[in-house]
Amino acid sequence: MKRRPDAQDLFAGVMFVAFAAFMLWLNTDHPIGSARRMGPGYMPMLAFGILGVLGVAIVIGGLLTGPNLIGRFAWRDMVLILLAMVVFGLTVERLGFIVSIALCVGIASLAEKVWKPLRVVGLIAFLLALCWFLFIWYLDIRIPVFPWSY
Amino acid sequence: MDLLNNLAYGFGVAATFQNLGACLIGALLGTAIGVLPGIGPVATISLLLPLTFGMSSTTAIIMLAGIYYGAQYGGSTTSILMNLPGEVSSVITALDGYQMARNGEAGPALAVAALGSFFAGSVATLLVAASGPLLTSVALSFGPADYFSLMFLGLIVSAVLSEGNVVKSIAMMVAGVGLGLVGTDVQTGQQRFTFDIPELSDGIGFAPMAMGMFGVAEIIRNLEMPEVRDALKTKITRLWLTKDQFRRVIGPVLRGTALGSIVGILPGGGASLSSMGAYTLERRISKNKHNFGKGAIEGVAAPESANNAAAQTSFIPLLTLGIPANAVMALMVGALIIQGIQPGPRMIEAQPDLFWGLIASMWIGNLMLVVINLPLIGMWVRLLKVPYDLMYPAILVFCAIGVYSLNNNSFDVFTTVVFGFLGYVFSKIGCPPAPMLIGFVLGPMMEEHLRRAMLLSRGDPMVFIERPISATLLGLALLAVIAMALPSIRKTKDEAMAGG
Repeated sequence: MKRRPDAQDLFAGVMFVAFAAFMLWLNTDHPIGSARRMGPGYMPMLAFGILGVLGVAIVIGGLLTGPNLIGRFAWRDMVLILLAMVVFGLTVERLGFIVSIALCVGIASLAEKVWKPLRVVGLIAFLLALCWFLFIWYLDIRIPVFPWSY
Repeated sequence: MDLLNNLAYGFGVAATFQNLGACLIGALLGTAIGVLPGIGPVATISLLLPLTFGMSSTTAIIMLAGIYYGAQYGGSTTSILMNLPGEVSSVITALDGYQMARNGEAGPALAVAALGSFFAGSVATLLVAASGPLLTSVALSFGPADYFSLMFLGLIVSAVLSEGNVVKSIAMMVAGVGLGLVGTDVQTGQQRFTFDIPELSDGIGFAPMAMGMFGVAEIIRNLEMPEVRDALKTKITRLWLTKDQFRRVIGPVLRGTALGSIVGILPGGGASLSSMGAYTLERRISKNKHNFGKGAIEGVAAPESANNAAAQTSFIPLLTLGIPANAVMALMVGALIIQGIQPGPRMIEAQPDLFWGLIASMWIGNLMLVVINLPLIGMWVRLLKVPYDLMYPAILVFCAIGVYSLNNNSFDVFTTVVFGFLGYVFSKIGCPPAPMLIGFVLGPMMEEHLRRAMLLSRGDPMVFIERPISATLLGLALLAVIAMALPSIRKTKDEAMAGG
C-alpha cells in the first residue's frame, strides 16, 4: 500500500517556497551590493534564500513521514470574524464609531453557537457604552463618533 | 550597597500612585485572562498596546509586565479546581492539582501554587536586579559581530526549544526576519517590498501583526472548539498548608525556582517550558514519586514556582541586551519602541526609572497577586460563567478600535485581518506563530549588525569566528543544533511536551 505523506508539512513547505520565490523575484529590484557594502537587497536575499531551502527541506520531510492530515477549516466562523473586522475598517471613517461597532459586533455575533437577537442587541449596547467610556471619554482617541462627525 | 540603593530608588518609582495603579490593573487583568481559557497574555498585551500610548514608558511597561506574571497566577486556579488550564504554562499543574482537589485538598493546592509562585517571583526579581547591571557591562563590550551572533544563537535556541517540528519553527522565524525587512531601508532609503503603498514604507505594523496572529486567529480557533465549562464541583477548604505539607514542598519550590530562573533566560524558554521541566525533574527525584499524577503536592509546587520564576527572568535578556526571549518579550520591545526607547544595554543607565521601577513593581505585583488570588478566589471562578459568545465580540471590537487608533488609519485594521487569516492557516498546518513574531522583531536589528560587522571587517566573514565572544556564541548555537539532532535528547523533549 502506498504511504500517505504528511499533508501539513507539504502545505507548509510549498507555502514557504512560494513566498520565498515571490519575494526573491521582487528583490531583483534592489541592489545587492557586496558583502563589505551591503545594499538593500543583501539581507532579503539571505533571508528568503534560506527560507526557500528550508521550505524544500520541509516538503522532503513531509514526503518521508506522515500521514498527518490538515484539520477541517471552520470557513463560516473565519469568514464572519474577518468580515466583521473588514467592515469596521471600511466604515469607521465614513459612518463613525457607533455605527461601525454595531455592524462589527452584529456580523461577528452570527458565529455564535446559539444566536439570540435580544442578547446581540444587549451586547452591542453594552460594548458601545464601554468603548465610549474607554476610548472616547478616558483615552480621547481621535475617531469620528457619529456619521455626521466629518 | 549599590544594589540596595538602586532598589530603594526603584521602590520610590514604583510606589507612586500612578505606577501602583498600573501594577494593580496589570495584575488583575493578568489573573483574569489567566483564569479564562482562550485568551492568553500575548493577545492581551497586544490588545492593550494602543492603550499605553498616553502613559509614561515606565507605567506602560509596569502594567504590561503585570499581565504576564499575573497570568501565571491565574492560570493555576482553574487548572486545580476544574482541570481546565487557562494558560499553556498551567497544563502541568492540572496533572496533580486537579487530583488534589478531587481528594478534597483544593485549599492546600491553591495555597502552595500562590505561595510557591510568590517565593519564586521574589527570588527571580532579585536575580533580575543583580544580574542586570552586570550583564549590561558585558554587553557594552559587544561589537556588531558579537551582537549578530547573539541574535543568531537566540533564534536557533528558541526554535530548538519550541514545540513541534523544529524545521518549521526555524522557517517561521526566517519568514519573520524577512517580513521585518519590509519598508524603507535605513541606510539607503530604498523602498523594499512596499508595492508603492505609503503605509508600508514604515514597515509592517508590529501591533497589527501580533493582534492578528494571536488575537483574531485565536478567536476563530476557539469558536470551532466545543465549549467546555464545567461548574465548580469541588469545595474549597482551608486555604493553608499543614506543617507536613509545608516541609514537603520546600525542596520542590527551591528546585522549581532555580530551574525556572535558568529556563526563563533562555531564548524561547519562558513559562510553559520551565513548568514542564520542573515537573519532569521532580517526578524523577522526589521521594514521593509514586504519588505523582495522583495528587502529589510536590507536583503542584514545582511547576508553579518554575513558571513564575521564568516569567520574571525572561525580562533579563530584554532589559540588558534588548533581545526578546519569547513572544511576550517581543511585544515589550514593540511597546518600548512605540514609546521611543530603543531596548539595549544602554537602557539601564539612560532609563533608570524604567529598569529599577519595573523590578520593584514586579515584587509589589507578586505580593498583590497573592492577595488577589487567595482570598478572592471565588470571584475569579465566577468569571468562568461568562460565556465565550459574549467575550469574543468584545475582544474583536477592542482589537479593531485598538489597531485603528495606532495611526488613525484603516490600513492597520486590514493588516490585522490578513495576519488573522494567516495565523489561522498556520495553526492548521502546525506552524507556530511565536517564532515569526520574534524573527520579525530581530530581523531589522540583525541586518543592521551584520552590515556593520561586515563593513568593519572589510567584507571578511571570518570576523564571526575570530572574535572570541562571537565564536563562543556561534559554538553554542552549533551545540544546540547537534543536541537536537541526537535522538535521545529529542525524545526527552517530545516526551516533556507530550506530557502537557
